[in-house]
Amino acid sequence: MADEPDRRGFLKVATGVLGGGLGLVVAVPALRMCIAPTGAETVTTPHDPIELGLVERLKVGAPWQRVSVVAPVVKDAWTTARDIVLGGAWLRRTDAKVEALSAVCPHLGCAVGFDETAKSFLCPCHNSKWSESGGLVANTGPAQRDLDPLPIEVHDGRLRLTWVRYKLDIPTREPA
Amino acid sequence: MTARNGMRLTEWMRVRARSEKREPGIPGGPSFAYVFGWVLVLLLGVEAITGAALAAFYAPSSTDAWASVAYVQDQMPLGWLVRGLHYHGGSAIVIIAGVHLVQTAVWGAYKKPRELTWWIGIVLLLLVLGFAISGYVLRWDQAGYWANRVEVGIAASTPVAGPTIRSLAIGGNEYGNLTLTRFYALHIVVLPALFAVGTFAHLVLARRHGTTPRWGRDGSMVVARWPYQTIRNVTAMAAVFAVLLGYVISQHGADLAAPADPAAAFDARPLWYFRWLFELRHLTGSYEKLAALASPAIVGGFLVGLPLIDRDPDRSPKKRLKFVGAVIALFAIIGLLTLKSFAGDAGDAALAKREQADALLASRARALAAANGVPVTGAQDVFTTVPMYQQRTLFAQKCAGCHDAKSKDRKGPIIGPGHGSRDWLKGVLHAPSGDAYWGRTKLGASEDAMKPAELAPNEIDDLVELLYAQSGASDVNQAKRDRGKTIFDKACTDCHSVDEGVAGGSGPGLGDLGSRDWFTSYISNPKKAIHMGKNSEMPRFDAELTMVERDVLAGYLVWLRSAVQADLDKLGPL
Repeated sequence: MADEPDRRGFLKVATGVLGGGLGLVVAVPALRMCIAPTGAETVTTPHDPIELGLVERLKVGAPWQRVSVVAPVVKDAWTTARDIVLGGAWLRRTDAKVEALSAVCPHLGCAVGFDETAKSFLCPCHNSKWSESGGLVANTGPAQRDLDPLPIEVHDGRLRLTWVRYKLDIPTREPA
Repeated sequence: MTARNGMRLTEWMRVRARSEKREPGIPGGPSFAYVFGWVLVLLLGVEAITGAALAAFYAPSSTDAWASVAYVQDQMPLGWLVRGLHYHGGSAIVIIAGVHLVQTAVWGAYKKPRELTWWIGIVLLLLVLGFAISGYVLRWDQAGYWANRVEVGIAASTPVAGPTIRSLAIGGNEYGNLTLTRFYALHIVVLPALFAVGTFAHLVLARRHGTTPRWGRDGSMVVARWPYQTIRNVTAMAAVFAVLLGYVISQHGADLAAPADPAAAFDARPLWYFRWLFELRHLTGSYEKLAALASPAIVGGFLVGLPLIDRDPDRSPKKRLKFVGAVIALFAIIGLLTLKSFAGDAGDAALAKREQADALLASRARALAAANGVPVTGAQDVFTTVPMYQQRTLFAQKCAGCHDAKSKDRKGPIIGPGHGSRDWLKGVLHAPSGDAYWGRTKLGASEDAMKPAELAPNEIDDLVELLYAQSGASDVNQAKRDRGKTIFDKACTDCHSVDEGVAGGSGPGLGDLGSRDWFTSYISNPKKAIHMGKNSEMPRFDAELTMVERDVLAGYLVWLRSAVQADLDKLGPL
């Protein structure tokens, strides 16, 4: 038959289009769904300051004290839960001032510890060190900036801390 | 079945499967050098079977993941073995795949026409590492959680695309339920599917091209695969599996750290086969980002490029020294970096101390999970399932400093098991300023201190019964109590009263002494006139503790009255 090559070519294209179309009909919704969380706020925490108890829990002049920052309510995808630990913070009180540093390492986000004998902060993951005031000690590890201070205030004798996560592994401090 | 019947069955199958009747042979004869691919097939089977069993128990949610893993590890019959085989089997795959790769490289078996087989093999190796990363986070313990945070952090430091990669990987803005569901889907569906396709292609190609004979061996001498090579394969499989099984038993499965805690510092370390990269980052200092992202690319690029640069058909290693040398040097460097990383940690005393503390926390969390279950509010809350957790924590935080017998700077009366019991009351009457009572207070040393009661023993007993009865205890001897009241009215009323809500003279009111309400009132404000008045050095707690917390503490103090040390010990450590 003279038209056979044309017909064959058409059938090939038609098979490809139909088959590919069928595949797309399934793949597109599946992919759309799977990329949906990207860039979305899937874990939501209240942006209000978080209550950390009486200011007296910090003794004036005492070394840095680690506290867990506990959000009263956290919504995580399909669940909502009370009293969820968001992360850690280091607090200290000097005379009239209360200071807070985020315990999140500005390198890759490990929780930073305080070494009381060496009077310095140390990240256990890649050995970055900070001085007692939170200043980066050069050439100790890969961190590129000082520990991140967190806004903290005393309201009615109670500590109120604003929890902020900053972008990691950059020299500047930008909220994530 | 007789051999004849067996032959018939094989023949029947062959016709149905439409396969050619052929006896695939080994050119140059069988060798133990060719067993590694088959050992890998065995290990993949182990992963598939143990993985399916584990999936039947695993709960991919941030609240339940750790709990379900702990349940398998500590409570399911042979759960530890299944989990151990799955976890250490992964390590075995990395080791055997490494040997397989080196053997292939030394034999020059990647050369034409086997380049595609080699490349698919490298993709499979990458998928194995993907399995490792996606699997390690699923346990949601401190180790897996922090390792993943660092790994994702490295990926997130990729220029430009970094934040998107992070968000795509963890399923949103922060670690949570979606992080686990995606890594789980990746680990048990996506990666296995890709791996199955890759393995199939790798095996088909390997079978089509046949075994690459060792250089210098006469390839024209073909020896039947079955059973001469097969017996070697099976022997090697059995040997490797025996080692794996022995190791898993010696380790009692796989480790499991305490539940993930975003606030607690943890010495995160990657799985051992990533330790060379970890060490490289340490060594390269400010170039660490380059090291982290570039060195895997260099290693991968070198392996992929090998068949393209080493094209001479001669496979003798002597003629390919630079290539064979490069492959061996590469693995030697990786091995040395790995050793250096572990040696560095082994020499760090402070780290060892922290790891010991972490191990203690882990065993505690698991013991509590096994004994009491894990609260649905999250694995972190497993620590609060200790009996009387809230009571004892409050006591430890707010009271123990001044009142615990073991406290170095105790300032007040000892509060412990038996506090407020008949014996305790008797002790107070005998020596109110004794060391265990008010001896360490300013009051105890002052003129205002109560004097020891000078009464006959039976009178003391009766008086004790009256005071004991104030608490509302159910085992009061009424006759004794009544006699005690007569003695009280005679000897004590100058300073005290047992009428409800009535302050004494110079001393505290004793109505309802030792009842839950009395404790709540006392804790709230011991300086009240009805309690110790201005003489009390104890701070008031009505601002620091909520009403509920004060009541909880009061309940604990009531419980202590009839408790003995053994009861307290039975509760376990806090």
